[in-house]
Amino acid sequence: MNKVSLLKNKLLILSLSLFLFGWYSYSQAQDEKNLPFPITLFKLKNGLQVILSEDSSLPLVSVVVAYNVGSMYEEPGKTGLAYLLENLMFQGSENVSRMQHYSIIHNAGGELNAATSADKTIFFQTVPSNQLARVLWLESDRMMSLEINDLNVQQVKDILIEEIHHRKATNPYLESYYRFDQFIYPDFFYSHPVIGNESDLINITVEDVKKFYSTFYKPNNAVLSIAGNINKKKAEEEIRKYFETIPEGQNFPPVTSPKLPERKPIIRTHKDPSVPSPGFHLGYRMASPSTDDFYPLRIIEYILLHGKTSRLYKRLIKRDRTASHLSGSIEIRKNLARLKIFVVCGNTTMMERSKRAIISEINRLKMSLISEKELQKSKNLFKMDYINQYATSGDKARFLAESFLSKKSLDHLANELKKYLAVTRGDIIGIMRKYFTHESITLNIIK
Amino acid sequence: MKKIRSQLKNALPLFLLIFLYWNPLLFSQERFRKSPPNPEPFTELRLPEINYKTFPNNGLTLAIIQRENLPIISLKAIIFSGESSSPENLPGIATLTANMISRGVSHLTSSRIEEEIESIGGRFFTSIHPDHSVFTFTFLEEYLDRALSLLSRMFLQPTFLSHEIENVKRSMQYGIIQNKTDPEFLAKRQLFRLLFRDHPYYKGTLNEDLIRYLNQKDLISYFRNYYRPNNALIVLTGNLNITATERLVSRYFYSWRKKELLNSPLPPPNPFTEQKVCLIDLPGAKDATIYLGNVVYPVTSQDIFPLIALNQVLGGTPKSRLFMNLRESKGYAYYAFSNVGSFKSCSIFFVNARVTPEVTYSSINEILKEIEGITKNKIPIPEIEQAKSYLIGNLSLQIETFENLSSKASEFNILNIEDELWRKYYENIMLIDSERVLETAGKYPLLTPVIVIVGDSSIILDNIREFGEVELFNKKGVSQGILHLNKGEKK
Repeated sequence: MNKVSLLKNKLLILSLSLFLFGWYSYSQAQDEKNLPFPITLFKLKNGLQVILSEDSSLPLVSVVVAYNVGSMYEEPGKTGLAYLLENLMFQGSENVSRMQHYSIIHNAGGELNAATSADKTIFFQTVPSNQLARVLWLESDRMMSLEINDLNVQQVKDILIEEIHHRKATNPYLESYYRFDQFIYPDFFYSHPVIGNESDLINITVEDVKKFYSTFYKPNNAVLSIAGNINKKKAEEEIRKYFETIPEGQNFPPVTSPKLPERKPIIRTHKDPSVPSPGFHLGYRMASPSTDDFYPLRIIEYILLHGKTSRLYKRLIKRDRTASHLSGSIEIRKNLARLKIFVVCGNTTMMERSKRAIISEINRLKMSLISEKELQKSKNLFKMDYINQYATSGDKARFLAESFLSKKSLDHLANELKKYLAVTRGDIIGIMRKYFTHESITLNIIK
Repeated sequence: MKKIRSQLKNALPLFLLIFLYWNPLLFSQERFRKSPPNPEPFTELRLPEINYKTFPNNGLTLAIIQRENLPIISLKAIIFSGESSSPENLPGIATLTANMISRGVSHLTSSRIEEEIESIGGRFFTSIHPDHSVFTFTFLEEYLDRALSLLSRMFLQPTFLSHEIENVKRSMQYGIIQNKTDPEFLAKRQLFRLLFRDHPYYKGTLNEDLIRYLNQKDLISYFRNYYRPNNALIVLTGNLNITATERLVSRYFYSWRKKELLNSPLPPPNPFTEQKVCLIDLPGAKDATIYLGNVVYPVTSQDIFPLIALNQVLGGTPKSRLFMNLRESKGYAYYAFSNVGSFKSCSIFFVNARVTPEVTYSSINEILKEIEGITKNKIPIPEIEQAKSYLIGNLSLQIETFENLSSKASEFNILNIEDELWRKYYENIMLIDSERVLETAGKYPLLTPVIVIVGDSSIILDNIREFGEVELFNKKGVSQGILHLNKGEKK
């Protein structure tokens, strides 16, 4: 064998081994255009999706790590696990002591927080931009080697049980919210509360927590989104240094497909002596957020429920004065969307009148075309809220991470706002008739 | 086959080398993971320029801050008169007037105004303070013209219709009644009532009974006296062309007529020189809510920066002494913080905490010990440096939104803070040291505060006997007499 062929063979094996260890899964940075702000996307060899958005207007940087896991990934009897783990992520990891994460962010004048929902868990911090490497060090350490032991799991469980008690004591309608979710969502996975049930929380073991962490808290199940005053090249180097050697995860359990109920109205009454006044939750099953029907549905949400001049606020609070509280919005859990309205009234007569008024306003929107002026008003209110999703560097990093997790790309962002603003009066009437049907109603009366 | 095996054998060391290089985690973690990296050099915040213009015909001042990254505009209109300028016999008239500004102008009812605000993607709200009244308006940038047109009509052509006045009075009364179940509101209001007892600022601590005496005639009279361009400031933040915006503001507000003002500078209230303990009975309250504080310096004095640092070390955040002691170490409190409330003629230094009722006395004792510690001993260098690091780093976060930036600019004008103080924030914080903090703390009566406790008296009284003398108040803030408690004796 001559030297050339030996070298050739070694190169062959080298390339083979590099391939095996993922070198070629390195993907080139890609700049997305036509967005209201610049972004760059790339993926690390372990599958971690990275989003960078440069903005030098203030010397700040926000780092968001969003994991594709939430309460809907919990098994029956283990509710509250996702939220428990969110809290545990601040209790230390192999190289970060218990209060160190908080101390580092705080001492720099920064802010941090986290949130768990049905389908995602998000960690975010905003710091002066010279602290970027430190935040990456912190986030990578807890992604790689979270400290999970009897003591810290018990401490977090105690805090969460106290939180459950506090929430129940301060919100007499809380149980009715949970009950309504059981009716409006198809099954346990979609409907149980993020904070969990107290009895489940008590029974969760350290092994359960370790298993949940080692299954879901993996780079290829996460998005790292950074917005603010960064040097893209340098930031990329630091990101690769801290995250690229974190082992990827395998065999993520798929989300259980929802068991969709047959299309018929669900009407329940729930007697609760602890509520100060009667009320009701009213909901409709909406189109999936990934469909084109969702654009008019979102605008309809604004026509009905947002602002003091929205149709339901004007009718129930200002004109008829049958309700003392009205709130509502479209809620998304993975691929399911629900319009949820909550009303509190002085007495049961007022409650009946409020229910009838809502149905009458919905019928009005189904029967007659909305004026161009009113539609434009609702679109403008929506536009303001849409823009405010990226008003600060922290908002922007979170907006990008959540958008990516929900659609697995950011391609849709270039035209998303335009599509909402292109909704016509005809779309509104058509979509109202399609989704606001009697069969789609879920009603839970509390008295 | 043999050949392939031989090739693989030759390549094995290389293969292992690559394997080890790319998988160090199999054996030990990378060295850089063991400790946090050093931060890069700090990038100092360049504070945005505030472009001022005062219109010569009527004295209206406009401040424009250019920010390009969002297609929205934040507007704040300030009237430099607040509740302290209400006539002595009409507390509440400043609040009523401000709340009426968006409730009807000529040819536009209050409902039509709401429609117009929301049609431009807008939100409008009002807040009234002892020294000033603020009107906050945020809207989509393409509607600047419509927003200014609407705002000018609110200030130049309000209708102040009787039925709208009655509606607003009802909602003010309802708001105060609702707040009477909120221990934070009751405690803070009572603290400020006592600290401002003989001062015009007292009028800002309204109770619901006074509102019924307010009428249209008095409202119009107040409006005519104080809602004048030479008593006003408009702050705009957004992607704005300065010249075009100035022209637009001039067009809409040109006919607003100036008038000689009745505002005169107020002297600072006298601080308490002896500790006083008060209890508001809130039957059924599960916790004890504590507010304690005293009158301190005028905000424009040179002491402002050492006191900001002192506040940071004592109770600015959950890493500060009060929180770490009362919650983390003793487990008495849900939270414990200190604050500096700034007014034109003085500031109020106060501590607020929510604690378990059984340890009310011990908690107050710990708070006073912490205050004593910080006023009598030098803060260790690492602690003061940490506080400075927080204050410098946090400034950028405080002005991230357009609205916060507008608020900051408004605050400087309201409190007469010189531009220079704002420009040199970084240097001023860097100059603070433990000696200056100690020297400044010694000047003020922080150890003789008014102490207000809100909670269920049937639980709390037994736990505050050590104070000896406590004044009892009802939820309206009316004194129910002084209780002489026997120290060390329980029911």
